[in-house]
Amino acid sequence: MNGTEPFKIPPEAAFATTYDVAIVGSGVSGALIAKTLGALGLKVLVVEAGPGEDVTIGEYTKSVERFYSAVSKDNNAPYAHSRNAPMPRDYDAVKLRDSQPNDRGYLVQNGPFEIDSTYSRVLGGTTRHWEAKALRMLPDDFRMQSAFGRGRDWPVTYDALAPDYGRAERELGVSGNVEDQRYGGLTFEDGYVYPMKRMPPSFLDKTMAKDLDGFEVKVGEQTFALNVRSTPQARNGIPNPAYDGGKGFTPTGAVSIHQAEMGGRCQGNTNCVPICPVQAKYDARRTLLAAMDTGNVHLLARTVAFRVEVDGTTGRVTGITCKTYADKDAPGHVTGMLQARIFVLAANAVENARLMLASDLHGSSKLMGRNLMDHAYLLTWGLMPQVVGTGRGPLCTSGIEDIRTGNYRQHHAAVRFSIHNDGWGWATGAPYTDLAELVDARNLTGAALRRGLIDRVGRQLLLDCMIEVLPEETNRISVDPRHLDQLGNPRPVVSFHIPDYTLETAAFSRRLTRQIYQRLGAEDHTRYDPLAPGWVSHDGEGFTLRGGNHWAGTHIMGTEARTSVVDATQKSWDHGNLYLAGAGSMPSIGTANTTLTLAALCLRTADAIAAELSPGLATASVSTHCQEIPA
Amino acid sequence: MTPEQTQADLLPGFLAISSVLTGFSEHALRGTGQTELYLATACEMVGDDSMRMMLGAFSACDIGDDTEAMGRHMRLCILSHARFGPLARNLIKLWYIGTWHCMPRDWHEAFGGNPADRDHIPSPTSYTEGLLWPAIGANPPGAKPFGYGMWANPPRVTRA
Ligand SMILES: Cc1cc2nc3c(=O)[nH]c(=O)nc-3n(C[C@H](O)[C@H](O)[C@H](O)COP(=O)(O)OP(=O)(O)OC[C@H]3O[C@@H](n4cnc5c(N)ncnc54)[C@H](O)[C@@H]3O)c2cc1C
Ligand code: SF4
Repeated sequence: MNGTEPFKIPPEAAFATTYDVAIVGSGVSGALIAKTLGALGLKVLVVEAGPGEDVTIGEYTKSVERFYSAVSKDNNAPYAHSRNAPMPRDYDAVKLRDSQPNDRGYLVQNGPFEIDSTYSRVLGGTTRHWEAKALRMLPDDFRMQSAFGRGRDWPVTYDALAPDYGRAERELGVSGNVEDQRYGGLTFEDGYVYPMKRMPPSFLDKTMAKDLDGFEVKVGEQTFALNVRSTPQARNGIPNPAYDGGKGFTPTGAVSIHQAEMGGRCQGNTNCVPICPVQAKYDARRTLLAAMDTGNVHLLARTVAFRVEVDGTTGRVTGITCKTYADKDAPGHVTGMLQARIFVLAANAVENARLMLASDLHGSSKLMGRNLMDHAYLLTWGLMPQVVGTGRGPLCTSGIEDIRTGNYRQHHAAVRFSIHNDGWGWATGAPYTDLAELVDARNLTGAALRRGLIDRVGRQLLLDCMIEVLPEETNRISVDPRHLDQLGNPRPVVSFHIPDYTLETAAFSRRLTRQIYQRLGAEDHTRYDPLAPGWVSHDGEGFTLRGGNHWAGTHIMGTEARTSVVDATQKSWDHGNLYLAGAGSMPSIGTANTTLTLAALCLRTADAIAAELSPGLATASVSTHCQEIPA
Repeated sequence: MTPEQTQADLLPGFLAISSVLTGFSEHALRGTGQTELYLATACEMVGDDSMRMMLGAFSACDIGDDTEAMGRHMRLCILSHARFGPLARNLIKLWYIGTWHCMPRDWHEAFGGNPADRDHIPSPTSYTEGLLWPAIGANPPGAKPFGYGMWANPPRVTRA
């Protein structure tokens, strides 16, 4: 792909122009809106807080090498820290003592739950290090209140969103198998196929399936048969010739403003988080460069949105004050004002709310920043009876989905399990910790060490249990003038607790995973450390829960201004020319990683903006019908 | 002698002990391209004298191919030795994951070495050349992938 030069616009020029649409954030939310509107001929500016690098293969390689050279390989390790646009690091989440907030990292943690979720402030946003699981939410997830008397209903149904899911699957380039997705009421358009065939299930998946498939479990009053099913993911695989009415699909590989031929297919680098060295995994730079290619989209990097300015009488946004810095760490910046007919905040659920609150815009519902959600992850881990070749392939190729919904949700949260090909790393720091134990405690060297490692690492199985969290107003992002970053931006303050509704499912998941290990004949090595951050107890049993990196809910969507922040198109109820885009709009997160759904929402938002600015412009609609291909 | 000469002189002993410690042949170790760098890194952090003394103790008895005798010799003269044991274990980790770990404080107090000793990865290729990955039949995360779909096949390593 050839991005249009000049790729970036100087700040003086950007601030002197009135755009049709100004978008804050170059992540997947902002990039999808920019691309769609740019393609329709609208003049768009994308503002990015991070350095706008990594648009050439050379720059990208530097990020890969930074990762190789990092002693601590946390999920932001490939990306240089910036004092002017700081980002959260998971190792900053520590146990809170005496209810004192922890402000050692960028996020100020107010507790009581210490959340280790992160995001990235770099070009392309958090999809740079996302894992790229791309499951749809279930129809029930959109009607939590009417179906189960819990949480909130969406102003959009699954059926209404389904075509946009199809568009999002094309934009992100999803590999998957529709047949494996038939559970929990999920429906697809007749004959629909994913753009690419499913990622081949790993040897571990297949070994588990042999003994697990058909395992009947009773949850509440219902009985479910568990099955190992492939996980749809935004990772390049083999294009499905039946896609799009038999037109097929052409995957996008590595993006660069110079010609580059790689990334057309996943090679199994087992490093999707934090960086795919060949760019087989989708990241938003793909969409962003395509947006630039329309010739109508400008990028202003190293520019942090500082304050949303509003006309006191009409409520309309008159501009967004921004600070542009030259050096990522040195103090010093120029201030300018973004001008546009329509403004879009696409800086993610935490940053959108932070920016609005820093601008004293709490919303007429006073819900700005509230209803913060994220998945709670319970990790369980064991050793399979046989060597399964842990450490090969994408981090996860399959999961257990059959219990993602059911009447039990009247009482406790939904859950899905992912089978990890990368072993115990997330839970224990394996295989590094295993090596240390074998050498330092078990005194193994030479051939005995090699045998010990195969036995200890090659059999590892980690099942993550991704548990739903419902919106609660006390879970929230706020700002506090005592906590500012170097540019003078208030840092996000997180207050989060894990509701009983979710804890009940943590306990259930621990019981069920025990049974799964029993059925597989696997040694269960799961242990939770009461001194670790994220420790919670419920009914006398303790667990460590981890953050899911799926921040959502902070500008929640609804049917009226009194009880929500945005409408079904993500438009602010209070500010007629402002959209708040991304997972912050979601009224529930069910048991799907948020990105595919937020991508579908953002495509709708782009349609709404296009209709508003240039009525009559046809919106991009793709056919995803498939043609019968004779065998 | 210059440091380079000293180290060239230590190289054969360093390869030999590394092979016994890691369970990989000298040929495989050489193939990583890291040997000189690792020897230089270790000497820089612990001092040439500690390295020279450990290699001296290692080659003090001529054991030949008797692996059982070698194992015993390693336990008695190297692994349980206050000065050499921590260094030997550090070398295993250096070869396996490409990270040099700072030696324990009491080791430095007793035996000197570099006050600037610290955890670090000598070069980006040290990470990708780690022996841990071939040992478990995996690729280093983020490098040397096996290719599309290869993860569906049975592992190349088996339990002995
Ligand atoms: C480790 C990890 C794994 C994940 N795995 C998955 C997965 O498998 N599946 C899935 O669906 N989701 C996953 N996610 C979540 C996914 O990454 C996010 O849902 C997605 O990236 C959100 O996109 P976004 O564009 O809304 O926000 P972001 O990607 O966070 O982008 C926001 C952009 O706005 C910029 N910005 C922020 N503040 C400002 C400001 N004040 N001014 C200007 N610019 C600003 C940022 O620099 C950034 O570029 C994962 C996340 C993490 C951390
Ligand atoms: S498994 Fe590897 S090649 Fe495939 S997407 Fe992940 S990092 Fe990229």
